[in-house]
Order: sequence, then C-alpha cells, then structure tokens
Amino acid sequence: MTTELAANGKPFVHHQAAHCETGVTSALFRYQGVDISEPMIFGISSGIFFGYLPFMKLSHLPISAFRAKPGSVFRKAAKRLGGDFVIKTYRDPQKGMDELRQVLKTGQIVGLATNLYWLPYMSERHRHNFSGHNIIVIREIENGFRISDPTIGYLVDCLADGLERARFVPGPLNPRGYMYYTKSVNPHPDLRGACIKGMKDSCNLMLRIPLPIFGVRGMRFLAKKVIKSPDKLGFQEACRHLAGTVRWVEETGTGGAGFRYMYAVFMQEAAELFGSEDLAQLSRDMTAIGDTWREFSVVAARIIKQRGKEEETFAKAGGLIFKCADREEAFFKNLQKVVRKLKA
Amino acid sequence: MELEDEIFNDGLPKAYYKHDDNGQYVLETDAPWAEKVSCALIISGNRANLEEIRKAVLAGQKSPIYYYMEMRQLTSGMLAKAAGIAVFRVKRHFRPEIFAKLKPSVLNRYTNALRVTLEELKTVPNI
Repeated sequence: MTTELAANGKPFVHHQAAHCETGVTSALFRYQGVDISEPMIFGISSGIFFGYLPFMKLSHLPISAFRAKPGSVFRKAAKRLGGDFVIKTYRDPQKGMDELRQVLKTGQIVGLATNLYWLPYMSERHRHNFSGHNIIVIREIENGFRISDPTIGYLVDCLADGLERARFVPGPLNPRGYMYYTKSVNPHPDLRGACIKGMKDSCNLMLRIPLPIFGVRGMRFLAKKVIKSPDKLGFQEACRHLAGTVRWVEETGTGGAGFRYMYAVFMQEAAELFGSEDLAQLSRDMTAIGDTWREFSVVAARIIKQRGKEEETFAKAGGLIFKCADREEAFFKNLQKVVRKLKA
Repeated sequence: MELEDEIFNDGLPKAYYKHDDNGQYVLETDAPWAEKVSCALIISGNRANLEEIRKAVLAGQKSPIYYYMEMRQLTSGMLAKAAGIAVFRVKRHFRPEIFAKLKPSVLNRYTNALRVTLEELKTVPNI
C-alpha cells in the first residue's frame, strides 16, 4: 500500500490486487470516494466464468479462460454501480498519447488497456502476447508516466515510448489505445441490487450457454481432452498442454485456483452485506471448489515432475476437473435458488 | 529448480488469496508450487524452441523473419495482418532464398510490424 499524489494533488492509494482488471476498476471507484474491494467488483461484474478455446492459441497452447472476456468486467461493474465513464479508442498513436497527457493534466487518473508483451517493466514470465492488461496512469513525469499496476505491489515508472508501444500494437491484437476515465460516479451505489444482478448473470453464464466449450460443459470438455491427451499427443506434448492449463488456473492474475478463491471472498462479503447464512455456506462451498482446483494443479505439477508415476496420472487430473465441474454445477444451481430469496 | 527460482525472483510477485482453516482470506505474494513448475516448463520449452529456430536460420533453412515472429509470440496469420501482407506471401518469405530477394519496401513493412531495425531483420543474433 503506497500513496501517491495525482496531478492536482489528490492522493491516490495503491493497493496490490490479484487481478489487473478488477484491481483497476476498484481503484478507480476508490479514488472517487466509493470504498469497494476487489472481490466485490469481481462478483458484481460476474467475472467468474469458464471457457475452453482450443482454436485460439497463445504461444502454441490452447486457451482455457477462467473469467469473462477482457473488458466486460469493467463495463458491467460501471453499469451496475452507476458509474459514468468516458471510453475512447484511437487510430493515431500520437493523438492517443496527446489526449492521455491532456486528461492527466486535469487531475484525472486514467485506466488503459495495454499489451503485456510490450510493457517495459514486465519480466519474462509475465510476457504473453495478450492485449487486455489494464493499468492506471496517475500522472506524467519527466519523459514518462507514473503507473499503478495493480498486479505489482508498488508504483512503477514507464517511459512514454514504451507505453506508446504497449498501447498501439500492430496486428489483430491491437488495443488501439483503449482508455477510460471517470465522468461521474454515484457516491452511494446500490450494492445489494448490483450483487444480485451479478450473481444471476454468473449463474446464467456458467449453466445456460448452449455451447459445449463454455461454463460447466466446457470444464467437462477440457477434462475429456486432458484424459485423452497422452495417447493423442505423446507424453512430452501432453505435459506442455497440462502446464498451459495450470498456468491459466494459477498464474495470469487469478488470485489462486482460477478465480474461485476470489469468488469465495465475494460470497463472504455478500453474506455480511445481506446477513444471509445461505451465502456464507455457499462461500464455504466455493472454497472447497477452489481447493479441488488447487489439488488438480498440484497433481498436474507432479505429473510434469514425474513424481509418483503410479498414482499421478492424466486420468486422475481429468477426474479432478470432472469433480470441479459437478461441484460447480451444484454450486450455481444452489446460488440460483438463494438469489431468488434475496431482497435488494 | 534453478530456472524456477530465476524466473520467479524477478521482483514482480503477484498476489494470491490464501485461506486458513476458518475460511478467512488474506492476500499473500508467494506463488504456489504448481505454478512455478508449469511456468518453468513452458518458458524452458519456449526458449529451446527459439534456440532451435535460431540454429535453423544460421544453417540456412529458415529466414530471420521466422525467428523474429516466434520471438514476438506471433503466428503467421497475426504477422500477416500486422504487416498487411497476405498469409501465403508471409509463409513464402520464411524461405531464405526468397527472403534474400525482397525489396526494401516489403522489408520495411516487416520492420514496422515486428519492431526491429532493418539491420537486425537481415540476421539473427549470433551468440
């Protein structure tokens, strides 16, 4: 936690967060005086999700997403909490950078979408070619910007040149300088209503998308693939695919166990907000689901390290994903019933 | 073990939610073991892949464009969109004999898309 002054002298408090987009959104709201935590934003904007996308590859490995698509967390949170934001994209990099400087001079803090590969302060393990990494620019400094990246524990400096490159990447992944800042924020948002909306939306996303790659169906699809993978791909390549999945579960800013722990924190906070024992019970269920995902990643790591070859097999890893899918299906069906009883 | 420590001692620890037996959560910054193992596997795989391509370029089997494309984590389709050149032409340019005959105007498109200088694009780093 560090404090830094924006261009107009208003203090900005930097908190470390597990995920970039929820961290940025909660920081923007907090800067305007609405005290709201990261898990709360995650729940309200129905960030929890599952999608297995074998046709999209990131460094030759298929994507399994544990959260809703980039950008939707911010958009839904803003809508449900009654925040009015200016959202802009640019064709011309020069114009994009000039407008960023102008907005910063008025004392606003600005959220940006950037490409992780091109951010100069990132290290090798964070560098994916992924164009949805969100950061906050606090103010301009000499030939650069002061940046609050919520996944990092402290504030960083970034050269203007490097930031421009990260904001405008040629090709299909171009974030086109996506930038957003507050116009006005409702100082007393309707938290209870927003929570209910978020939970209902999450249930629909997890249970009712009629495609086999999303929601709990997607988990089962992935589980089948994992079980078959050593026969289809060979042991080495199957290990790489498994490692790729574990990376999506644990790394990429999930806060552990594919956002399931973060959602459990949200359920806890919601239980306090509504004073509901059902929600507290659901939070404990979600923690158990998170533990199962963590167990899966440990089994996967043991397969990769070839420890205990007899008991740690791909079938066991796939079986754990099946278990997660069953438990999550039960969880969201319960949640649907509980949400109906809640009053905004 | 060494690679895992090397890539995780980069001074940029991420935060993770951890819970105790009572279900109380705190935000901590030590990475889970499974993540370290899988990250190390993927990064060592990527490095070995890049090294193989570098050797192939030096041996005259691939053009340097292929090396820089892999370095920037692009696919041929993405590179084609970024450079504004059709995919089949990009794939053709991976052959060194065709790459050698390219006009500067085409090379400039690649330098902009891959963000390397013209001198860099003509060779690969020879360590």
